[in-house]
Amino acid sequence: MVTVGIPRALLYYQYYPMWKAFFEKLGTEVVVSPPTNKSILNSGVTRGVQDTCLPVKVFFGHVIALIDKCDLIFVPAVTSLGNKNYNCSKLIGLPNMARALIPESPPFLAPEIDCEKGRYNFYRNIYAVGRYFTSNPFKLKRAVEEGWVSNLDYRNKMSDEKITPLQAIDGKLSTNVGPSSFTVAVIAHPYIIYDEYVSHQLISRLQKMEVKVVTAEMVPQEELDVATRRVVGVPHWLFESEIIGAGEYYLETRVDGIIIVAAFGCGPDSMMLSVVEHRARESEIPLLPLSVDEHSSEGGLLTRLEAFLDMVKRRKRVCV
Amino acid sequence: MRVGIPHFGNVYIPVKSMARKLGAPEGYIIIPPPITQRTLELGVKYSPQEACLPYKITLGSLIETCEMGADTLIQARGTGICRLGYYAKDQEQTLQDLGFNAHFLTLDVSHHKVISIIRLIQDMSNNTPWREIIPAFFFSIGKLFALDKIEKVVHKVRAVELEKGTASRIYREAINAIDEATKSKEVKGLTKKYIDNLNRVPKDTTTKPLKVGIVGEIYVVIEPFANMDIEIELGKLGIEVERTMTLSRWIKYSLFLNYLGVDEWREVHKLASPYVDHDIGGDGWESVGEKVLYARNGFDGVIHLAPFTCMPEIVAQNIMPSTREDIPVLTVICDEQQSKQGMLTRLEAFTDLISFRRRKREYGRRV
Repeated sequence: MVTVGIPRALLYYQYYPMWKAFFEKLGTEVVVSPPTNKSILNSGVTRGVQDTCLPVKVFFGHVIALIDKCDLIFVPAVTSLGNKNYNCSKLIGLPNMARALIPESPPFLAPEIDCEKGRYNFYRNIYAVGRYFTSNPFKLKRAVEEGWVSNLDYRNKMSDEKITPLQAIDGKLSTNVGPSSFTVAVIAHPYIIYDEYVSHQLISRLQKMEVKVVTAEMVPQEELDVATRRVVGVPHWLFESEIIGAGEYYLETRVDGIIIVAAFGCGPDSMMLSVVEHRARESEIPLLPLSVDEHSSEGGLLTRLEAFLDMVKRRKRVCV
Repeated sequence: MRVGIPHFGNVYIPVKSMARKLGAPEGYIIIPPPITQRTLELGVKYSPQEACLPYKITLGSLIETCEMGADTLIQARGTGICRLGYYAKDQEQTLQDLGFNAHFLTLDVSHHKVISIIRLIQDMSNNTPWREIIPAFFFSIGKLFALDKIEKVVHKVRAVELEKGTASRIYREAINAIDEATKSKEVKGLTKKYIDNLNRVPKDTTTKPLKVGIVGEIYVVIEPFANMDIEIELGKLGIEVERTMTLSRWIKYSLFLNYLGVDEWREVHKLASPYVDHDIGGDGWESVGEKVLYARNGFDGVIHLAPFTCMPEIVAQNIMPSTREDIPVLTVICDEQQSKQGMLTRLEAFTDLISFRRRKREYGRRV
């Protein structure tokens, strides 16, 4: 049986259930790389040029971790999902970069998902992936449908039960227990905040401090889109709704504080987060910008987090 | 209405000449002062910290036009490219926060370029009939073509001139003279005159200069302030520079020939296809392809210019070392922190490297 490796990085947090259902329906075994740890990070960091952003370096580390564990590695180049907005260049060129930097890896399954190029191109790319496993187009179609259904289930599960992707994928019990006195929205790309090594367990730390954490995944996609359109009109990036949309949504619902986390050197974030910051200033909600890179320390993060939460607490007491 | 534009290479020349040709009143088009350290400082002060250099410089330039009284600003936008599509949105917000009441006219540089430029001219020209606009437009872009033609010769002369700085001086004179010209015949005459002048500059004919190609992100490649006059510095080191990316080429293909099915990058994309097989936004695909092209054409080295945190160029930078064609590449990251001395040291080291390689190739050993 063919084994397909999926790196636990970047789009994994958004689409893993879909990919898993798709590949399992095609009769393959799916292997996921272990959660990020120091050796994965280090092996990834040594490959790329230094200006590459941390999540992409982590991705390379995960690809290296999958060598010898699988026959094929799934690295899609997600360019566009329609609506005339596109992904970050680094994600579009991801398979090309990985191929150049990790020549010893198993072959990549690298479909280019670009809905702007039309239906035919999209089908052809999916078919090119399926051809590795089956020559029966109907089987492939069923696998795609299966994948799509599990994607919808996954999204609905997160927005209905207000859980994070980690809880939805791994079935971990919610740690959001106990009386939480206030709500903090964490606005960032899923691959930063749900990677516990990269974000220094930001979310579980907040939950331990008796804070109710809300993220973009806990809001239905339609509402995020509406909020995005209200602030910036037509979105420019593929993932604009998960940053600007979520920021705007939670500002509107008057959360007690907002934490934004960006990877150092992230191009889209440098622009989008300034919009969120601007909106937060207008609506007078405290905001903590955090930046992560391979040198960021846990201690520094913790100090700033505590100071921010103290401030939010005091502010709430004064308001009440 | 007073229209301001940010600086981008020689773009101000055709804009100015168009306004003059169509009889716009004095002060209708506001050309900001040349980019200086102050422009950059203004831009850096009011930009998001991690925005790229072109964003910061254009913002600084726009602030300077607003200070001169502009109320309508022109900026590029587009989809499927890098951050550039976001510039106008963010800069408009920033300028409003600063208290300037300016609104943006945007020029789509990714799709529908011609329609977008026609709309822009319509908006600005106040119902001037088309039979006046079209000749004015062609006359104005003719100036850009003339300047790029002269610059090509300048690149060649700079490397071998005996008295350093002559070619740059003539080029500056040419820019001023062509800027002042009012008829197409005059532009043609001036082009011929300055090219002749350049050809008459005393040259060192004994040595064959080293040749490097310049690739990278379009703004930092074309705007001399952003790349700290890297072409002049290379000329001083006796290196002949070639770059395919020019404004006139962009206009020629993007506005006209692409609609006839001519793709100026077809060859470059084909050369890049073993490494990058689809567009990655910005100029990343072209950078990889041009590296291969320069290596095949027997160049001695490639200089890759990229703004700090530029996404497409980072992809290109990651991919470039793995191409089969072996040619030294020096990546120069441009941002507000960079010092000219640091860049010069690296350029000198790079020059040594490529001249050693050439001697090794010619004599079969290191001399």
